[in-house]
Amino acid sequence: MNPILLWLLVPGPILFGLLALFCPGWRSRGTVAWLAGLTTAAAGIVLAGSWGNALTYELPAVLGPVSIILELAVMVWIVGIAWKIRSTSVAIPGLLQLGFGVATVVLARQGGGHEAAPGKLLADPLAMLLVLVISIIGSLIVIYAIGYMRNHDAHAPATAASNNRFFFVLIAFLGLMNGLVLCDDLRWLAIFWECTTLCSFFLIGHDGTPEACNNAKRALLLNTWGGVAMAGAGCWLAYRGQAETLTQVMAGGLLLPVALLSFAALVKSAQMPFQSWLLGAMVAPTPVSALLHSSTMVKAGSYLVLRLVPAFGPTQLAAVLAIAGGFTFAVTSAIAISQSNAKKVLAYSTIANLGLIVACAGLNTPLAYAAALMLLVFHAVSKSVLFLAVGAIEQGIGSRHIEDMSGILRKMPLTASFAALGMVSMMMPPFGMLAAKWMAIESAVNSPLVLMLIIIGSALTVFFWSKWIGRITTISYHPSYAIEKLRLTMLAGMAVITVGVLLSGGCCMWFYKAACRPMAEAVFSADLIQSQWTLLESASQTVLWPIFAVVLVLLFALLGPFNRLRKEQVRLPFMCGENVTDARFTFEFRSLKDLPETAQVTSYYFSPILGELAISSWANPVAALILATLFGVLA
Amino acid sequence: MTIPWDKMAIGAAALLCAPLLGALLQGLDRKLTARIQGRQGPPVVQPFYDFFKLLGKEQLLLNRMQVLYAWLHLAFMAITLMLLVLGQDSLMLLFVLAFSTLSLVLGGMCVRSPYSRIGSQREILLMVAYEPVLILMVVGFYLVNHSFSIACVWQADQPLLLRLPLLFLALLAVAAIKLQKSPFDLATSHHAHQEIIKGITIEYSGPALAVLELAHFYETALVMVLLALFWATNWWIGAGIALGAYLLLVIVDNACARLTTAWMFKFMWTVILGLALTNIVWLYLSK
Repeated sequence: MNPILLWLLVPGPILFGLLALFCPGWRSRGTVAWLAGLTTAAAGIVLAGSWGNALTYELPAVLGPVSIILELAVMVWIVGIAWKIRSTSVAIPGLLQLGFGVATVVLARQGGGHEAAPGKLLADPLAMLLVLVISIIGSLIVIYAIGYMRNHDAHAPATAASNNRFFFVLIAFLGLMNGLVLCDDLRWLAIFWECTTLCSFFLIGHDGTPEACNNAKRALLLNTWGGVAMAGAGCWLAYRGQAETLTQVMAGGLLLPVALLSFAALVKSAQMPFQSWLLGAMVAPTPVSALLHSSTMVKAGSYLVLRLVPAFGPTQLAAVLAIAGGFTFAVTSAIAISQSNAKKVLAYSTIANLGLIVACAGLNTPLAYAAALMLLVFHAVSKSVLFLAVGAIEQGIGSRHIEDMSGILRKMPLTASFAALGMVSMMMPPFGMLAAKWMAIESAVNSPLVLMLIIIGSALTVFFWSKWIGRITTISYHPSYAIEKLRLTMLAGMAVITVGVLLSGGCCMWFYKAACRPMAEAVFSADLIQSQWTLLESASQTVLWPIFAVVLVLLFALLGPFNRLRKEQVRLPFMCGENVTDARFTFEFRSLKDLPETAQVTSYYFSPILGELAISSWANPVAALILATLFGVLA
Repeated sequence: MTIPWDKMAIGAAALLCAPLLGALLQGLDRKLTARIQGRQGPPVVQPFYDFFKLLGKEQLLLNRMQVLYAWLHLAFMAITLMLLVLGQDSLMLLFVLAFSTLSLVLGGMCVRSPYSRIGSQREILLMVAYEPVLILMVVGFYLVNHSFSIACVWQADQPLLLRLPLLFLALLAVAAIKLQKSPFDLATSHHAHQEIIKGITIEYSGPALAVLELAHFYETALVMVLLALFWATNWWIGAGIALGAYLLLVIVDNACARLTTAWMFKFMWTVILGLALTNIVWLYLSK
């Protein structure tokens, strides 16, 4: 692997971040962010250019001892933060993790040999796919953030941290994530894992309000428990005298480290009962939510679960993981129905889709694996544009409530179209998300319980998306439309990702054939592939682009009637003949005593049954029990 | 790549014949309903008259989005029917069908009309209620034929009904929803006499309403073919079953009152989903 490429992908963004730390103003900060985004994205694309052959890179020997020092330093830093924010609850997992870290070093030294191995980097197709997602989508979010944070500055609370620190963490995040997916050594994995936890702690707490601090603390607390599991896995490997690498975990046949790493992954991807940290993350400025939900942080969890798939084999562990993921998918989709806060709906939908990825990984079949890969990529694309659009809408109309978004198609036609397209791409054919869900259901057909959970979850998903799309496209007749003014960087970020969304609609089956299926076939044994051959093949032969073509043709064909519609053809809605008909053309009707009253209908939310508290009060314990089973089946 | 002329011919024939079939069935429905209610009723070809009359009217609208959604509804309903007669993947067929229904829902939601908004939301609820049953039906197809492709159902040597009797019963309830029959005609109905008047389609008129009517002709034909699939070994028996089921639904429509959404949801997710699941469990156990 080319070392220059590695420099650009991993230390590169971190160095750009450091540069951003010393920027005097917006002009230089913007330049640094643009440069960082463009170089990282370019490096990611170049790396993916050598698709098909796994690249490795042996790290120089000096990095061996350095990695030990770094790992312990990060762990000490977390304990230090716990001290600084006076939080015993964070200190406990922090100290535990530190204990495991020290124990690992000691055990490895006793075992002799590889205690200071520098490790190697491994860029196989899975890592390359992740690098592509991180460096392209992540970079676009960073670019969007330039404009967003300038607007945010105007009404940010006085407690907010400096923009320099914000951009430092935001840009460095990309490098750390790239490192996380490229390293094979568990010690490096733990370093990057903890660093991304710290990044999200700083980003969530950016505004410095009591709520932000509290939610940042919760994110740190839960993710540090995930870190404890990961450190525990390293410790166990060292105790058994095995090398601490992912390759070793896969080959070694030890199930405890696999279970511990899966646990860490579940925490990071905010699966039930750990979902609260990701929900709390929405207090941060929107680019942070977009980054955490789409290309970084939570995707680290999905990545690790997918990385571990070869280690599952035909174990009960995988079956339990599939049920845990399916359960999260079904339950969080239900909760999403009860939410009227746009960012919360998006957050629950993220958790649900990550649950589906975990379920697919647990199903442990080639088609499910391919479905998980498609979900990972297309979810990142669609969810990032949704967050960015919601952020722009929030700055535009001053509200993030879905009920306030009717008429948005006139006030902000461009942003509203991006958002509507993003939502459509989450659930309708021919977009990639739906294709992936379709494969997930087909591959779950031999695991009845998981199948039922996925079916219920998919049905519920339709509900919250469609009522939101209905709200956004609500509009009254207007002779003409004016495009809203957005900052160039915000527009650029959203527009480029929207092109990606459209591509995901046109090329999702091609992506399956070219990337996902070969990757799945490389992971599974020949007879497992043979047993699923008809399913894999029928997915390959599916063509979805005609659906796309029909929609496009219809859109163009209807442009004529659209423009021909005259004001005389426009009527008021039916209100039992009691419309207030005057020159104002309103939606009022004559109520009691002939007083005018505006007709309004809000959406269904079913809060008493599907509200957060109503559901999580029983679903969190159930999810915890399922996770307990994860370790129970090891015995 | 050779052009599959035979498939294209079948597709074109289905595209032309399905609305005729759907309209005739709806005419039959109106006749039968009238007779049950002691009326003479319109001629069986009345749906055609209605359709062409609507086409000739001036287009009145509330906004521009309405027309787009109406056409999307029609286009995807027709595509669903094509996928069905051409023997494509059954699960993808359900998703395209869902897209079509969603277009209808969004058409009702994009206007500031209380009645049509309530109708739309009820339609989504209906969708959420019946979608799991339909997916289980497809899973049933897979467990019997070891393939998701509908072509395998066409070629099966044993009628599906013998292996999936409970799923067929569950499908009857779904058919009642899709054909807008009581007790499930919550979102809209053929008779503008419910508490939300015409519900989801109330703000459509003239040619745009004609588009929706045409889509419903397709939908009726689609439901018929789905029902007939359960006896695909002999087309006469299959058609007989589908027609019998249709007449049964018309009679139930006249005999039942419309019930609440909450009742509908509970009924679908307990009794009907339970029926479907029981059938699936049978298949798993008998494998």
